[in-house]
Amino acid sequence: MAVVILRIGKAISQALRSIGRSNERLYSCLHPPVRLSQTLTEFFFDGFRVKDFFAYRTARSLIVPIFVVTCVLLGGVQPASAGKKAMVAVGFVGTPPPGFQNVLLNVQAVRINPNVNAGPSSGKWQSIPTPPGIGGKDQSAILQMDLNTSQNVPELFNTAPVRSGTYRTAEILLDTNNPGSLIQNCPQSSPIGDKNTDGCINQPIALNNGDVITVSSDAMGGLVAPGNGKVAQLVLQVNMVVNQAPTSPGGAYLVTVTLGVPPLNLMGSVSGSVTVKPGTGTGMGAIGKVRKLAVTAEDIGTGIAISSANVSNGQYNLLLPAAGGILASPFGFGTLYDLAVAGGDNSYAAERLVPLYPGQQLPPINFTVTGNQTLGNLTGSLTDKCVAGKAIVGATLQLLVPPDSNSTANCLGTPSERAQCVTVALANSDNAGDFPLPGTITIPSQFQNVPAAPKTNLNNAYALQISAPGYNTMVVQAKPSNGTGKKGGGMCAPIGSTTFSQCNLAMNTGYITDTIPIIPPPPGQTTLVQVFAEDHGTNNIESALSMPIVVRNSQSGPITFTLNVPTNDIIPQGFDLFASTIDLYQGTADPYPGHTIAVKSDVLGPGPALTPHACNTATPPPFDQVIDCVGHGSITGTVANANLGTSVILSKQDTDTGHSVQITNSMVENQAPASGPSPANNYSFCAPADTYEVQTAQIAVPSPSVVPMGTPTPVLNDDAVSVTIPPAAKVSGPTATPTAGGPTPTATSSGPTPTATPTVAPKCPTTCSNPDGSCPGICNNVFQPL
Amino acid sequence: MGAIGAAIAISAAACNNQTGFSGSVGNTPNGPKLPSFEILGTQGTPFTATLSDSRSSWTFQGNTPLAVFLCNNPSNAASLVATKTTSNNNLLSLEIISGNHISDLQSTNAPFGSATVQAAGGIGTISPQASPDLRIFLRGPFDEKYSALVEDIQTGFIINSRAPTLILFDTPNGKVDATFFGNQNFGVFSANMTLNGQVVINVSNGPNLTIRQP
Repeated sequence: MAVVILRIGKAISQALRSIGRSNERLYSCLHPPVRLSQTLTEFFFDGFRVKDFFAYRTARSLIVPIFVVTCVLLGGVQPASAGKKAMVAVGFVGTPPPGFQNVLLNVQAVRINPNVNAGPSSGKWQSIPTPPGIGGKDQSAILQMDLNTSQNVPELFNTAPVRSGTYRTAEILLDTNNPGSLIQNCPQSSPIGDKNTDGCINQPIALNNGDVITVSSDAMGGLVAPGNGKVAQLVLQVNMVVNQAPTSPGGAYLVTVTLGVPPLNLMGSVSGSVTVKPGTGTGMGAIGKVRKLAVTAEDIGTGIAISSANVSNGQYNLLLPAAGGILASPFGFGTLYDLAVAGGDNSYAAERLVPLYPGQQLPPINFTVTGNQTLGNLTGSLTDKCVAGKAIVGATLQLLVPPDSNSTANCLGTPSERAQCVTVALANSDNAGDFPLPGTITIPSQFQNVPAAPKTNLNNAYALQISAPGYNTMVVQAKPSNGTGKKGGGMCAPIGSTTFSQCNLAMNTGYITDTIPIIPPPPGQTTLVQVFAEDHGTNNIESALSMPIVVRNSQSGPITFTLNVPTNDIIPQGFDLFASTIDLYQGTADPYPGHTIAVKSDVLGPGPALTPHACNTATPPPFDQVIDCVGHGSITGTVANANLGTSVILSKQDTDTGHSVQITNSMVENQAPASGPSPANNYSFCAPADTYEVQTAQIAVPSPSVVPMGTPTPVLNDDAVSVTIPPAAKVSGPTATPTAGGPTPTATSSGPTPTATPTVAPKCPTTCSNPDGSCPGICNNVFQPL
Repeated sequence: MGAIGAAIAISAAACNNQTGFSGSVGNTPNGPKLPSFEILGTQGTPFTATLSDSRSSWTFQGNTPLAVFLCNNPSNAASLVATKTTSNNNLLSLEIISGNHISDLQSTNAPFGSATVQAAGGIGTISPQASPDLRIFLRGPFDEKYSALVEDIQTGFIINSRAPTLILFDTPNGKVDATFFGNQNFGVFSANMTLNGQVVINVSNGPNLTIRQP
């Protein structure tokens, strides 16, 4: 044995010496070389490139050391996923400090440990990383969480596999370099407000209590106790307290962040069975890898996945955020979900649920699917019908099926009929307009595992809905390939046709061309203008420019834009347009604009999709309102009798038509019971100094026992209030010389009088500059209760 | 264990044999390490974005997640502006990763909300549209790590990232090519190259792939 150890040790030391002599030689075996078209370059897995070779000698000298080192290392290796058969769903509830537009924490991961006093180096930590789409496995990435928006209902962070057991400590891992930021409303007589700094800008935070932020429980069940094959919930309450405002412009807020466990259960549970009855198809065929059978909860009517659970032993279990609130109903407000069943070589199934309430376990939702289905692909391309060869990038494709409880829903029908259907597979188009994007190595794209459509479907086809901003939403019949080859792409046909061909589809669009007056920026600066089109009288944005308009000092006269818009818009009055800017604040990213927002209502579009309207251009009269540098501003307030279906709409009036154009909305935050015994029921907007309307909108409280037909839409209440945010006092030029005085902030309703006297003037440019070189100073807030 | 070790030893020997050629290599010097512009968020969220350095700019559409690399940036400074193109409250998050450090970050949940991030202090203005506008889009496999060398006849750039990735090459000197390296179980790369908006080559191979401008 001693000889063996000696030999291993000698071999390791020989290997290390070899590595030390020449990293290049070691690396040379880790990747085959590549000769490119123009150079002969050796390139290796770590980005290392060499110009000299000793490959043969290196190879001979390294075979034995590599063998020995590898064997030694492999002895202690376990796969990262070893033993991780339980699942934990982590969610956050925010308890933010008051007075801020956004309270942002940069979360890298959450980790849990079975020991109450687990140290940072404990080997028993189990990590829940940021979710797929943000980072996922072993990737450096951050989920930026806003504590303001998670006060009423938990925000799901991620669901990840862990080892089964009882976990007593949880830790939230923030980015140590940049743990988060605060965006304060414009200053008024708040004890927290930093009156030395403009509002509506990003300000960093520094952690007063260090970056180890944990919560522990020595109770018998610990914080969470996931069992094998099951999902357990861990909802963490994230509290932030501001200890000190920045002492200098650009400085950091000193804050204390703590973790807790919310006193109330804010999640609901959905579970049931999935029975697979034998089918008569060919099974997976030649399609390759197959997705696991899973049940996915989606935001109602959208296809947006909230959480997914694999089917294990014929059972599934989902834990989902659920809206409570005490004013809506005895149960709370309730959250609406769809369930989609897909995976394996099984047919699809779907269901639409009654509202889910906090702490509730819905009665079992059971599905029956048919196995041994022939799986095929649905592939193709999307192009613009009006511009030859133009690919449509980033389009969304959804396969729709009726829910079990409404099996006659017409998924090929009108928009309101399609709204009754559930998305069971989703794909996007790539930069060439081709769909779908590939899946992972082990999990193919949803469109690469499509079972043959039921024979009861019209033409044995599915309904495939394709949407892209600015284009007419399109619905076609789609049949997957028959599973005889991995590259078969399926067939599509227009509604009403029985002639199927490759799914190379062209989408209709139309155009609106118009002009907007703008005060150009001073020399050396630019202003980016983005234009949006929304359905008239709604907050439903249909389109935006593919690239913001760049305005320079040389701009003379109004800017001209051309915007793609759908031509089959169901709102006969057409569109409302608004244009806002994307600004920098003293050279860094500015989260809110400092230029006025120009609006135009009642713009007739190019017409319905029928020939000759598609591809037509509408040219409405020019905008009256001017885009000008006015600086930030904010509106804050409270809403009486709010529930979790209440929101506040910010609108601006088109003085030409007298109609208001909706710009954005704010949820009513800090509601009972999640926020505790003294709910604030507050809302807030950061908007450029100007005159607006604020108005509440209400989503009807879902009936506890009724399955909704579609996504509920908010209805405006008759309580629009005009609010004027006065412009900030000007800073006269690039040096810090504040201009004394300024207009007094006004609101039409009573509220605290804003105070807007900066003690330190920022240096120009701030969020923008005027042609004379001056710029807006510290902004004003208006308080407006509703 | 012995069998695994033997297999690795054989593999090592085999791959060493592959390197048994010599000649003039490394004619293109390495360019600077590239920051990664990550457009992240709720999976599948559509967006439109403009990335600009001090010489050129590129506008592109896509869905999250997407990693974007800008080769041959004359000054390292760059700005990325992205706008969600959907009316829902899905997250769109822009991150710039330099090394393993997230150097800038901004997010939005607003319908059609915008976010901006800046590298190396950013640039004050959006530059004219790139000409020529050369792009390489690596489609998949999704979320798998790979390494790549992207070069013109003058400079080579190293990229370590995950698909899908969009690679933009500012003012290339001569034709551009790229080689992507996945691990043994990587699966099949799928990539295309566009020049001034037209796809000029579409290739698919694995675990390694080379794409050359025709």
